[in-house]
Amino acid sequence: MNGILNVHQLHVEVASKILISDISFDINQGDYLCILGPNGAGKSTLLKALMGIVKTTSGEITLNQQPLSQLSQKMRAQHISYVPQAHGRQVNFSVIDFIKMGRFPYHSAFSDWTLADKQAMDRAIDITKIADFLSRQMQTLSGGESQRVMIAAALCQQTPLLLLDEPTSFLDPHHQVEMHQLIRQLNQQHNISIIEVSHDLNHAAHHSKHILALKHGKILWYGPSAEILKTSHLQALYDQQFVFTAHPQTGAMVALPCELAGEIS
Amino acid sequence: MKPFNSLLLILVVTIAVLLISPFLGLNSSTNPDIQQHILTQLRIPRILFAFIAGAGLAVCGMVFQAMFRNPLATPFTLGVASGASLGAALYVVLGFSFSIMSIDGSTFSAFIGSLITISFVYSISRLRSGFSSETLLLTGVAISFFFSSLILFTQYMSNISDSFQILRWLMGSLTTVGYRDVLQLLPFVSVCIGVILWLSRELNLLMAGDDIALSRGLAVQKTRYLLFFVTSLCVGAIVALCGPIGFIGMMVPHMCRLLIGSDHSWLTPATLLFGGCFLIICDTIARLIIAPAEIPVGVITTLIGGPFFLWLLIKSRNKSF
Repeated sequence: MNGILNVHQLHVEVASKILISDISFDINQGDYLCILGPNGAGKSTLLKALMGIVKTTSGEITLNQQPLSQLSQKMRAQHISYVPQAHGRQVNFSVIDFIKMGRFPYHSAFSDWTLADKQAMDRAIDITKIADFLSRQMQTLSGGESQRVMIAAALCQQTPLLLLDEPTSFLDPHHQVEMHQLIRQLNQQHNISIIEVSHDLNHAAHHSKHILALKHGKILWYGPSAEILKTSHLQALYDQQFVFTAHPQTGAMVALPCELAGEIS
Repeated sequence: MKPFNSLLLILVVTIAVLLISPFLGLNSSTNPDIQQHILTQLRIPRILFAFIAGAGLAVCGMVFQAMFRNPLATPFTLGVASGASLGAALYVVLGFSFSIMSIDGSTFSAFIGSLITISFVYSISRLRSGFSSETLLLTGVAISFFFSSLILFTQYMSNISDSFQILRWLMGSLTTVGYRDVLQLLPFVSVCIGVILWLSRELNLLMAGDDIALSRGLAVQKTRYLLFFVTSLCVGAIVALCGPIGFIGMMVPHMCRLLIGSDHSWLTPATLLFGGCFLIICDTIARLIIAPAEIPVGVITTLIGGPFFLWLLIKSRNKSF
């Protein structure tokens, strides 16, 4: 076993309801894994289990060969950061105060702000291009701005692994493209390993390295991203027929959901 | 206004209130000896006590608002103060009489009362995920009513002198406090506020929500239990000595947040100063308004707090904290 994160037979049960079971995968430095699946498949639960927000029932997660259960939450936050689903505008802080919280894992009580803190914050602000609205309140931000701030706060943690829960869900097409570009930049230029939950299967197929398809809490398919378009697994995953065609601009293969039979005139 | 300037302003106002309030309403007696006695033996300890209790209640309210992510959640509205009152009332009625390190047993029974109530309200709020804040507040209201009736019941069952003592735990009042009470209260409130000042970053994270707090590396559950413990201790100590003084813990932190922002490293000192100052002002009104008679200060804070609560309820509807 090598790689920065190894997940082995992960099983999560809440109130005797099985949310995910028998999940195994590995993340190496610089990997980009997309998790696809229908609503309620356990995608968010999987991310939360990795972050320690949801308790795992059995199975093992190791971080650099060290069992995650042996690490304190603070140590975990030095290795894994997490951007929850559309959460930014529920927070009553100014942008700069919120980003500052990303430095929490490196502080003990009353410890002063160091140069390293400032550099990490400046870098995160620079990458996500949010310097213009640092003094605004989180609640006043647009969806795109708020999502960039959430990512900036996670970047302040300077973790080798970043978990994103549907980062483009509530964004318009322009901001979706922008967000995808930012994620690719983090992955390629800054060498941050990424696990992203997404419903955008064409984005996942073309931009991520691997896809993990979850259904009813179990792995339905796990492999190199481009291959998901070559198989019939998409149909099995979503219980939905797809047609495949070449993107008129790029020539890349894209999947489009079929219309329901009754709606075709 | 920068947080620093706002804090400075609050500090100046607090010092002014501390210096002026002892002399208000002092001219009723012309004898300088009596005046001297009133000032040093009655007025000054009462104002010191009001400052410490107000600071403690306001800071505990601030912690509850941050932990439950709701501006309406305070020890008073969630029934924790009633739990403390019931604890203290039971101590009197059941005829216990003990003290540990010269701290009266009623303080400990009030502490146990508030700790049990917090645990109960918290487990109710955890019963189903995504419990609405309305449900939480209604739970608090139900608990308050229930405990108040239990206090009335114990009062009804008790003899005259106990009954008079128990009255204190139905409506907060500062009429009888002296230097001894100041010394009883000070250690509890200082320890509590000390811990809360120490946890200001943690409070910021709790206010951002559990998922964010955990992903930033905060051991959420441990921090929450520590905060429950110290706030119970603080509320218990205050309630045991002067009864439940309502709404300070809701109004003061909210006003400070509007003035200074949500960062607890500024908010906590501002809340503690303003809370102390606010209770002194309310108490001064309570003793002047129908002088030479007095009304319990809890009446004044509730008269101001009730409308404030309604305003907050209407304003914050459908909007998260």
